[in-house]
Amino acid sequence: MTASSGASQTTQGQSGPFWGRAAVRRNLNAYAFILPFMVLFAVFNIGPFFWALWLSLLRGDLVDQVKPFVGYQNYVSLTTDSITLKVFLNSLQYTVSVVPIAVVTALALAFLIGNKLVRFKDFYRAVVFFPLLASAAATAQIWSYILAPRYGVLTYLLGLVGVPEIYWLSDPDWALYGILLVEWWRGIGFHIILFLAAMLGVPEELHEAARIDGANAWQVATRVTIPLMRPVILFSVVMGTIWAFQLFDTVFVLTNGGPVHATATIVWYIYNHAFRYGQVGMAAAMGVVLLLIIMPISYVQMKVLGER
Amino acid sequence: MTPIDLRRDWRKRLRILPQAVVVYVLLALLVIIMLGPYLYIFSSSFKETYTLISIPPQIIPEQFVWDNYTYILSELPFSLWFFNTILVAVLVTVGTVLIDALAAYAFAKKEFWGRDVLFGLMLATIMIPGALLLIPAFLITNWLGLLNSYGGLIIPALANVLGVFLLRQFMQTIPEELEHAARIDGCTDFGVFWRIIMPLSAPALATLSIVVFTSQWNNLVWPLVVLNDKDLYTLPLGLALLRSEFQVNYGITSAAAFLSVVPLLIVFLFLQRYFLEGLTVGAVKG
Repeated sequence: MTASSGASQTTQGQSGPFWGRAAVRRNLNAYAFILPFMVLFAVFNIGPFFWALWLSLLRGDLVDQVKPFVGYQNYVSLTTDSITLKVFLNSLQYTVSVVPIAVVTALALAFLIGNKLVRFKDFYRAVVFFPLLASAAATAQIWSYILAPRYGVLTYLLGLVGVPEIYWLSDPDWALYGILLVEWWRGIGFHIILFLAAMLGVPEELHEAARIDGANAWQVATRVTIPLMRPVILFSVVMGTIWAFQLFDTVFVLTNGGPVHATATIVWYIYNHAFRYGQVGMAAAMGVVLLLIIMPISYVQMKVLGER
Repeated sequence: MTPIDLRRDWRKRLRILPQAVVVYVLLALLVIIMLGPYLYIFSSSFKETYTLISIPPQIIPEQFVWDNYTYILSELPFSLWFFNTILVAVLVTVGTVLIDALAAYAFAKKEFWGRDVLFGLMLATIMIPGALLLIPAFLITNWLGLLNSYGGLIIPALANVLGVFLLRQFMQTIPEELEHAARIDGCTDFGVFWRIIMPLSAPALATLSIVVFTSQWNNLVWPLVVLNDKDLYTLPLGLALLRSEFQVNYGITSAAAFLSVVPLLIVFLFLQRYFLEGLTVGAVKG
């Protein structure tokens, strides 16, 4: 399409000098509009992308002027590094826990708010949005007090129903789940609001028809409503997975990867190796591995976004 | 209404009463879980040091004191962090919306060589995790001499691909006739953009503004790597610092966390619609 219209324009303005031709001017005009964006995009997105790939083949500190080329050595080191495996397992364990928990609870809560008996749905929508507004740093502060051992309010409330004291953030067996709890609170509203919108968009006649055919509420939900929500649920799972693999802020503020690397995630590894331990190459190599994990998942996100 | 109707209505209500009770009990629980933590740190921000660690915990402190607030406002550069956060978030928002809108207009309404290739390339970069770009983006910012400055916080954040994507989609729905009419009236290309396209795109611009503002307000990683000087810190970075310096002084951290969230809560109450729309852009949660 572009080629054919470009050709016709060129014949029209052929007589003048190159810069005076209509097609050329039209193109230059359009480029003027995208120029500010493209310059910044090239300098801070495209450039860094290729530089990051290159850095993963080098060794050195952030401030080193000359970083020696070591080939794929960093990738080999990743496989022998003692905490790499821990970091992968943590990120994987966290992702496969938080995504299903968030999606299933959000679905249940969306059904609760979407219930026909519930009035003022906007109020509940606003309520579940509130946690999304706080920064990870503020959320971490809020929850560090709630999760504190002994005098923490959650410890107290759980104690009332006979649950023994849990060291949410300092017990290596629990710390990842402490983080998960905080992140669940922070992110659940996203899924609930998406599900609610999709659910309320399902035509009432479909529910009526199913009910007339003798379906009970559970059957209407699982056979009619949820199948119709499939694209939205897919989007939720994809976004949840992308965020889960990139978990950093909450970990950085609450536990800084500890205790004994129990909450060390992929991005935590990248940040520390680049900005603390002076191992830029290792950090970049880990970044490339993260890219390889995220890319196929993100591809689905892009497809979904492109369809809308 | 006839009495019979009333009785029927009453019977129906009685029949669904158990279900209604269950639904509303669960909803009350949901409200407590979602809002409780905010209310709890709000009340805790008025606690004295010893009531902070009392067992059982005091949901509402026996005595309200302002000490925590006076401390963070007088002893810490908290008001400076507040100012920095507002400045950076506002400038990034205005800049991003302008730069993205210019590009989106070209991608939506103009034909030019390489348009589809460029747009495909932009979309593809959505797949790149931010952590991979962190190191080279830091090195470039350093090379440009922008480390430890407002510019270093603002400039690298200005090109937002999702913003172009969102605005382009909206601008494509604006009818061509309006542009033609304006051109006949003697509008230049930029005039069409500024006088026709921008005003008509207001809802999409508002949504993008909210998304960008929120993510800047809450951004932790970029300020963390770019800033050294405590006086340039933004709120999330300041909060992270407090966490390491005041481990167990929850009164101070509660007051700081609460103050950092309040502005967004207020904006949210007035502009809910745009927050809800911005959610699906997929950028609200950093």
